[in-house]
Amino acid sequence: MSVSNSGGVTNVSVLPVYGVDPDRTQTTDLLTVIRRRIEGRYPVDPFGSDPQLQDLIAPFVTATVHVQVDHPERLPDDGPAVLVSNRGLGFVEPAALAVALRQEAGRRLRVIGAPDVPILGDLMRKLGAVMSYQNDLAALLRAEHVAAIPLGPTWLRTGAGTPPIQLLVAALGYPVIPVAVRPGGPLGLPLRPWRIAVGEPLAVKAKRGSGDPLAAAELAEAARDNVQRLIDQL
Amino acid sequence: MRVLVTGMGGELGTRVAQLLEERSEVREIVGVDFVPPRRRLRRSEFRRVDPRDREKLTDIVTEFAPNAVAHFGVYEPASRVSPRLAAEYTQACTVAALGAAARTGQLERVALRSGLVVYGRGRGRPGVPDETAPVAPTTPYGRTCLEVEALAVDLGRRHGFPVAALRMAHEAGSHVPSPLGRFLRLPVVPVPALADPAFQLLHQEDAARAMVAALLLGVDGPLNVVGPGAASVWQAVRLGGRIPWPVVGPGWRIATRVAELAGAPVPPHILELMTKGRTADGSKALEVLDLGTMRPTQEVCTELFEWAKVTPLRPTLPIAQVGT
Repeated sequence: MSVSNSGGVTNVSVLPVYGVDPDRTQTTDLLTVIRRRIEGRYPVDPFGSDPQLQDLIAPFVTATVHVQVDHPERLPDDGPAVLVSNRGLGFVEPAALAVALRQEAGRRLRVIGAPDVPILGDLMRKLGAVMSYQNDLAALLRAEHVAAIPLGPTWLRTGAGTPPIQLLVAALGYPVIPVAVRPGGPLGLPLRPWRIAVGEPLAVKAKRGSGDPLAAAELAEAARDNVQRLIDQL
Repeated sequence: MRVLVTGMGGELGTRVAQLLEERSEVREIVGVDFVPPRRRLRRSEFRRVDPRDREKLTDIVTEFAPNAVAHFGVYEPASRVSPRLAAEYTQACTVAALGAAARTGQLERVALRSGLVVYGRGRGRPGVPDETAPVAPTTPYGRTCLEVEALAVDLGRRHGFPVAALRMAHEAGSHVPSPLGRFLRLPVVPVPALADPAFQLLHQEDAARAMVAALLLGVDGPLNVVGPGAASVWQAVRLGGRIPWPVVGPGWRIATRVAELAGAPVPPHILELMTKGRTADGSKALEVLDLGTMRPTQEVCTELFEWAKVTPLRPTLPIAQVGT
């Protein structure tokens, strides 16, 4: 649903979602998904995401990646938010975080960082990822989704990586929550459930859409420090 | 207010004129185009003119001295005319009509038709751009739209009037001539084999309402106007009950040639939409123009396929009695 307010009048456009919630996770089955694809009757969002397809494969991911969440109550139940988390190489940490949000808050996580390449990029966008552009993150938050911004990769999962300041300009004015993600097993091996620690939302003074680069740099610094502190506590 | 509607012979230009006729603050409406309006107009005056006849077009505009211009003289390639002619008409109409209107000194505002094509697609460009995203068109039609925007903005700056550039998603409807509509209505539709990009459409009525609102409010700057939500290419084909024909790389050369032979030429901006998608963030336009309920993209897509449905009217009299 797209909503905006102007002069006391509400503009509402009811989208055909065919019973699929674009924000809340649901359950589905293979037959329904196939039938819907043949009819062409399934929701797609402007980022290319296909939530019904995500609901179909989610049980397989959840069965593979087990998570244990500290302070799950800090995850947002509704409205837009940005989760800033550490990561190693690739998308394993964001995938574990997506499982955590699905398990604890029943919401879909939109991971920022889909590669801007054919085939793989298209597939990841179908599964909910979004390209790493300031405009894309701003549009995602205006549509009231929960976005995950992974910090720069650290090869051996040695700590919080470099924060993407340019991206965080679009996050100003929204709740920004630091999160630490760590594999449960020895030497960083995911033998036991992944440990996920959710921090307190960061205090940001800048307004939405202010585009203040200094406030974004301060936010980036605070996010990195808080993620590192959470990693150290795990 | 005296309003000049360029491109009045198109579906959108005609509808804009109809909507303007309902507004009391609009005293006079004059329209120009190379074909007559598509619906009945009650108090608009239409002048048929080839946009390339700059002298005649300039005379008409100078004589009318409009306060506002709704510039629909931005012709989409392979929609009503060939791509080459569309670019010529657009350039001639923009330079002559806007230039003459600005020189009268009476012009107070301009709203023009542009498209999401100005953002381009491909590496280094955001997937869902808003109005602050850099413009870097990747197709000839995108470059044409950007040139029109640049010219109008430059005129506006020199003569001190606001210019609203409506970057519309592909306008569609059951009766709108459009290369995308013709392509999707083919019985077998070429689609990318290894991708399923998302795109947005804009219903003809919403496009016309946006233009009228932008003109009457005197909006300044670009606005993305899109149908809410999105559809994917494979999905659009199935919504119309058509058969998808998966195509890879060089296969598109054959596919577009076959489509052209079947009566659906595929200009570069349509090929780009089919292979890379085209979406944008339209939240600012919803807020600024206060458009109320808009038709979602998937509904517009479904309506595209309704054009061929003919409902036979049942005669009220036996045929033998007709005309007696």
